[in-house]
Amino acid sequence: MIVAGCDVGSLTAEAVIIKDSKILASKIMGVRATAEKSAICVMDLALAQAGLDYSDIDACYSTGYGRQAIPFSQKNISEISCHGMGAYWADNSIRTIVDIGGQDCKVISIDEKGLVQEFIMNDKCAAGTGRCLEVLAKALDVELHQLGPLSQKARKPISLTNKCSIFMELEVMQHVYKKRRLRDIAAGINNAVAKRVVSLSRSVPLKPGFAITGGVSKNVGVVSRMEKLLGVQFTQLSVDPQIIGALGAAIFAQKENGNHD
Amino acid sequence: MSDILSTIQKLAEAQKNAYITKAADEGKRILGYMCSFVPEEIIHAACMVPFRMTAVGSTETRLGDTYYSAINCSLVRHIFDKALKNEFSFLDGIVFMNGCDHSRRMYDNWRDALKTQGLGPEFLYMFVAPHTTMETSLNRFIDELNGFSSALEKNFGVNITKNALKNSISIYNRRRKLFRELNEMRKQPEPPISGAEMLAVQLAMTSIPVENAVDLLEQLTEHVHDRKMDCKDKLRIVVTGGAMEEIDHVKMIEDSGAIVVAENLCTGGRHSDVSSDEDGDPVISIAERYLYKVSCPRMVDEFENRSSLLEKTLKEYSADALITEKLMFCDIWGGEVFLLKQEAKRMGFPLLSLEREIYGGGAGQMKTRVQAFFETVRNIQ
Repeated sequence: MIVAGCDVGSLTAEAVIIKDSKILASKIMGVRATAEKSAICVMDLALAQAGLDYSDIDACYSTGYGRQAIPFSQKNISEISCHGMGAYWADNSIRTIVDIGGQDCKVISIDEKGLVQEFIMNDKCAAGTGRCLEVLAKALDVELHQLGPLSQKARKPISLTNKCSIFMELEVMQHVYKKRRLRDIAAGINNAVAKRVVSLSRSVPLKPGFAITGGVSKNVGVVSRMEKLLGVQFTQLSVDPQIIGALGAAIFAQKENGNHD
Repeated sequence: MSDILSTIQKLAEAQKNAYITKAADEGKRILGYMCSFVPEEIIHAACMVPFRMTAVGSTETRLGDTYYSAINCSLVRHIFDKALKNEFSFLDGIVFMNGCDHSRRMYDNWRDALKTQGLGPEFLYMFVAPHTTMETSLNRFIDELNGFSSALEKNFGVNITKNALKNSISIYNRRRKLFRELNEMRKQPEPPISGAEMLAVQLAMTSIPVENAVDLLEQLTEHVHDRKMDCKDKLRIVVTGGAMEEIDHVKMIEDSGAIVVAENLCTGGRHSDVSSDEDGDPVISIAERYLYKVSCPRMVDEFENRSSLLEKTLKEYSADALITEKLMFCDIWGGEVFLLKQEAKRMGFPLLSLEREIYGGGAGQMKTRVQAFFETVRNIQ
């Protein structure tokens, strides 16, 4: 049985194709003008990688902000359930997932079957998300992917006192004007984002077996700071943490369409 | 959609309607209000039509924000914006209420706008309801009701008799009874009406004369009597919260795999559920009804009763979960939701707490939260 999952978020889109419980192909790309275009583009890439055609897919489920607009999807499931199931499939000891995406962050508590029991999601502002990091990296004039490694070299991390991303940006610019070292500012940025997510996570029971997913999981600075603040260690997943949402959608497609592996 | 439901939906979405225009043409005065604690019976007994002011049709708060700020409730900002655009010019008076500080402040703002910009109407009355249910509060409330009656009599040259009050209580009770009968039908496994439709009914019925409301509700009851909503695989949800006018918001909740079977909303079930006593002194009956029976968190010593009522509602309507609805910067509902979260844990019912700006954006995030909540409820069932 060949199933697929497609996750169209606010910044990136991912597609995963699974055959007999093994990942055949996975692709990540920046979003296009519409959710439909993003979905088709990323799925085309994944199908090409797997050497398959749309007609070869037995079932495809969608997730992410664009989940309702995906023409080849039979069902849409929230990204919260999909991140829970995807992380569980990657490692069945996982019970708590921190997902930091482009425009939101969530802390998800799952049961021994990978199903969501409780969750919390940011609703007040975008501080503590990928978009916030993107804005702050731009203010610092470094590439987004450099923020993590750069912050690891910090000796005297700055402290960002504002909780709002816009005010954080002004604060970062002030530190740049004062000629503080980029690595120290980068560390301050990552610490601030980590702190926002950690404060959110206090509302959900934090069961042992932690994983971090979503694009921001690739920022080593945010991840290491969160580990310190939470006093836990995130399990290294066997698959790219950025495709976990799409993977979860594919697993649901597999479970609900015959194969219960 | 049937004719009667379509008529009601249009009323709910209109700022001013033909019923109000007709009543005004017939010489009736229209009195605006914004809170479930304003006694409609007294206004009606003064031969006037109480009209619940809403933000319906408002698309911005530009003018409203010349008096309010972005950290005030979006409902009052929208309503005052409409006021400053003369969209309430058909009103003969406005009754303000100390429901919350944001709406209470509108009394000051409107008086200033009347003085500086000539913003009518001239009859602006501050009605005060106590926040506690002690005996002294009841006496205070009775005085307030009498004071309000005298103000109407004096300003509009009318005479509010005991008989008129009794007749008004009777017709408002009739409207409430029809609401209760509709709500009773929603306890069925396949309710005859959706939550979105019911919100429209509740909004419409406070924007027209009560006689027309009774007539429309009777037609509606007959129409939906044998109707059954498709409830296959749908969760049964109770919604509780402050003001809500956005029918589309309830529709979004229902389209995510649920049916809203009951609600206690400021603009919804709260005003329609309980009747006034038809025997005895009418002013005391009205006072007891509003002070003791309206389940609203503006009353500071009544949480246990509200919680018991909610528990009873969840049980009687076979609800799977509760959604709380709060407008941003609403202190009253902020406190209530905090307490309800603890009650949800104690009683073991799933609760999702939503916060929004009235007619605000962010539908995508809201939909994700609601859909994920429903998936979670199904997981733990």
